[in-house]
Amino acid sequence: MTDLDTRDATGARPITGPAPQEAIHHGPTWKDHARSAIKHVLLIAASLVMIYPLLWLIASSFRPNDVIFRSPGLWVSDLYTENYSQGWYALSNPFGQYIINSAIVVVGAIAGNLFACTLAAYAFARLQFRLRSLWFAIMLLTIMLPFHVVVVPQYIVFNQLGWVNTFVPLILPKFLATDAFFVFLMVQFIRGIPKELDEAARIDGCGHWKIFSRVMLPLMGPAIATTAIFTFIWTWSDFFTPLIYLTDPIAYTVPVALRSFLDATAGSNWGAMFAMSVVTLIPLFLVFLFGQRFLVKGIATTGGK
Amino acid sequence: MAINRRQFLIGAGGLAAAATTVGLAGCAPGSGGGTGSEGGGGGEGGTANLALAWWGNPTRNKNTQAMIDAYMKANSNVKITGQPGEFSSYWDKLATQTAGGTAPDIIQMDMAYIAEYGNRGALMDLKDVDVSKFVEGTVDSGKINDTLVGVNAGINTPLIFGNPKVFEKAKVDLPDDTTWTWDQMSEVAAEVASKSGVPFGLAAFFTSDQMFSAFLRQNGKELFNPDGLAFEPADAQAWFDLMVKFQKAKAIGTPQQISEEFNKPLDQGALVVGKAAMQHYHSNQLEAVNAASGEEMRLLRTPSLTGKATERKAWYKASMLWSVSAKTKSPEAAVAWINWFANDPAAADIEKAERGIPPNSELQEHVRPKLSPAQQTVAKHIADIKPELAPTPIAPPPGGGTLGQVMGRYQTDVLFGRASTADAAKKFVDEVKSNLQV
Amino acid sequence: MSAISELSTVHRVKAKTPEEKRLAAKEAGRDNKAGYLFLLPWLIGLIVITIGPMLASLYLSFTNYSLIQAPRWIGLENYGRMLTDERLHNSLKVTFIYVFVSTPLQLAVALAIALLLNEGMRGLAFYRSVFYLPSMLGASVAIAVLWRQMFEVDGLVNQVLRLLGFEATISWIGDPQWALWTIILLHVWTFGSPMVIFLAGLRQIPGMYYEAAAVDGAGWWVRFTNITLPLLSPIIFFNLVLQIINAFQAFTQAYVVSNGSGGPSDSTMFYTLYLYQKGFVQFQMGYASAMAWLLVVIIAAFTAINFWASKHWVFYGD
Repeated sequence: MTDLDTRDATGARPITGPAPQEAIHHGPTWKDHARSAIKHVLLIAASLVMIYPLLWLIASSFRPNDVIFRSPGLWVSDLYTENYSQGWYALSNPFGQYIINSAIVVVGAIAGNLFACTLAAYAFARLQFRLRSLWFAIMLLTIMLPFHVVVVPQYIVFNQLGWVNTFVPLILPKFLATDAFFVFLMVQFIRGIPKELDEAARIDGCGHWKIFSRVMLPLMGPAIATTAIFTFIWTWSDFFTPLIYLTDPIAYTVPVALRSFLDATAGSNWGAMFAMSVVTLIPLFLVFLFGQRFLVKGIATTGGK
Repeated sequence: MAINRRQFLIGAGGLAAAATTVGLAGCAPGSGGGTGSEGGGGGEGGTANLALAWWGNPTRNKNTQAMIDAYMKANSNVKITGQPGEFSSYWDKLATQTAGGTAPDIIQMDMAYIAEYGNRGALMDLKDVDVSKFVEGTVDSGKINDTLVGVNAGINTPLIFGNPKVFEKAKVDLPDDTTWTWDQMSEVAAEVASKSGVPFGLAAFFTSDQMFSAFLRQNGKELFNPDGLAFEPADAQAWFDLMVKFQKAKAIGTPQQISEEFNKPLDQGALVVGKAAMQHYHSNQLEAVNAASGEEMRLLRTPSLTGKATERKAWYKASMLWSVSAKTKSPEAAVAWINWFANDPAAADIEKAERGIPPNSELQEHVRPKLSPAQQTVAKHIADIKPELAPTPIAPPPGGGTLGQVMGRYQTDVLFGRASTADAAKKFVDEVKSNLQV
Repeated sequence: MSAISELSTVHRVKAKTPEEKRLAAKEAGRDNKAGYLFLLPWLIGLIVITIGPMLASLYLSFTNYSLIQAPRWIGLENYGRMLTDERLHNSLKVTFIYVFVSTPLQLAVALAIALLLNEGMRGLAFYRSVFYLPSMLGASVAIAVLWRQMFEVDGLVNQVLRLLGFEATISWIGDPQWALWTIILLHVWTFGSPMVIFLAGLRQIPGMYYEAAAVDGAGWWVRFTNITLPLLSPIIFFNLVLQIINAFQAFTQAYVVSNGSGGPSDSTMFYTLYLYQKGFVQFQMGYASAMAWLLVVIIAAFTAINFWASKHWVFYGD
């Protein structure tokens, strides 16, 4: 078994290299090479289709405004970099200000979600308490109500609390697990973790908090990484909530700031908007690139420690 | 234990809900609830705090901020915070702020929305604003039930832009817009389209509620009157039939193309990207269209039934207006600012004609030499059409601002053969009527 | 085969005799204190931020509320109007088509790609990021503009079709018959989110099952249906439930692609888009609230069906 055991010391399988499903072959045959080549060709073709819109976005960010909508192609003959240099300063603050604002909101949101959703998910998935099913159903119910009809009453609540024109309405709800999506996601992950591990810890004398922090959290790596990445991306792109809560332009987050380039009734500065969109995509992309490493750690399942 | 906890939680939830709805009830205008306008109070003899909201683009944002700075410099006891925005999301934000009681003090208003806010008591009476020097016909558009709730921030008029280059390519002369009739417009459009190869002889025309209004007025009707809808299904059907006639004459493009054009932003419009010979616009958009297209467009009047421009019943529109929230804590300061914008040459020096031609006739003269060539063309046109005016149409009543969108939907059905013009006209009128009632 | 057959018979249904039921009830309150303590942040959030506004919106559904003036009680009038509102029925139809076509399509693509990417291969990180990129962009105005352009009568898609020999005179975005499909396609294009979740779930399947199956000589399909699917089922279930809930509430893509109009001719007027228009554009927030609660009922019904059906195909390790 040892030469088939491709896991490292933590029990995780490495990212590259053949998965156990393929381990029974004795060295690659020409069929394997052909299959792999076809797979790569298909994937590359699919990738191009996937990212064509992004490539057009990047290409357009290097074109002046009056040319953008006349050219659907990707080839840019004259690189027009003013969209970047001018776009950065085109609004009432340098665009970096808006990126910083978004960063603050996003970091707060991630911290909040990781804190509150893991706690709630552990309760729903592992603890037996009265009315558990009722609260779970209510939690799902909160995702089912379209936010447009809740937005005004919530605004009134936050206004009474004096939190309009601050970041509080954008961050605080995350610390209170209002993102039921992630609670549910973590519940499903936890339910996939064998209960024997809990029991083993309990036999060792651990209370719920220790089980949660020492046993559960380390095993929930993929779920935590997924939550962090999605929270980052969704909060970064959220438009409506910052729109209504932030009145002072200096506090605007990236999506609201990007909208400022548009004016459907006069001319929009599409070039600058595309340029700044590309600039703000970079952190998103980097977070995902970096974060996906943590999505792949599997769990130790040799039935013990 | 569990029951007590549950009771407590339900009670707390009920309290929270009650608090929220009390908050909602407290937001009726004049009830004094809520935290008031964003700018906060300021009546202790100290500074007045005003929040000023507008929609626009980076250019307008810079101009408006410059005006705010200039005003604050000249009036040290006033502090103004700007709230710039983007047109489509501006209304969502304003509605939310109004519901929450935090509406800005000074609000840039649009004709499609002014009755929604004005009729429901959200806007202050602006009788103290000095509009004595305003050109005739430019004040009334801001009146709801005879109360002035919006001051015209810039005059414009709906008309047609023509691209001389496209006409040149087709070797067709630009039409004489003081004598042309509707039929002649169709002929010219069809001719230019076929000879120059552009898809649209005339774009974005029939789907415009303003052009529909022009048509109705020449036929003795209007879009709205104080009692509601001022036209019949037969009038709508005549308009739809005219559209079908133009389409069959190949003057306005194919149904697919017309449908694609609907709701397109200015800089993607057919005329701007070189796919049309003529397109409906408002006069204050000339500069933007020229900049976006790289061409110099010609202003063309709407046609008339009789071939006489003086009988086409044109009108001065307010491209946008300034209103004041009814719940402002600094009414005098807000009115003072609007007075300054509307009547002070210092304001006009910064603003020039970005929001439209200044309605104050003295400011018009003052500013004219400083205008860009495109704006000067517009200013001249606005002055020239004075003999062609008829009484200004009233602001769409609550529920009426969406008439253009409703009409476009039924027109799409007609164009794609999904409805006859008679059916579409009847359903269209029914729907607008029911929108007005709610 | 022994390992696989073991897996498929374990822990599917819990028997419930009266004795077991009594014990279960006692068990139900076992962790009361800990449970509510862990749940405390969520409960606080629920009471302060969520329940109040939700109940308020329920109350508003029985009123005429313009946002600008105080709400006025009108009882069931909003709900009555919904029965005869043709545009609402149309929006339901549009939404149902969208939910039941785009969700399975998107999930199938997401699962297929996740399976493909799960086998260790060169350039995995690159492909994974590339396939996720559309999800990062999907709701943006920039992409919507491009999407519209691509599907115009002389846009990129038709140009490619013409190169391939088709006549291609349809305006996919301008023709009421086809516009909805461009949005369905946009949704399928953004399959990155469920794909990432599938990947995380696939990585959590212990390798030892596959090794045991390999030893038993099981082929790919057998491994897929007997190991992958059952062990991935909690995640498939999660994606299914949430994608359906999200699809019923789809708003942003329809809003940006149709420029807020739901056009052409209401063919892309999703239910929540109509709700938004009624609430914010036509100042009929009471009616919009009634629409919202009808949607809750619909979504809750389908979610309940999902949960009930899950007993038959979802396999949990606990």
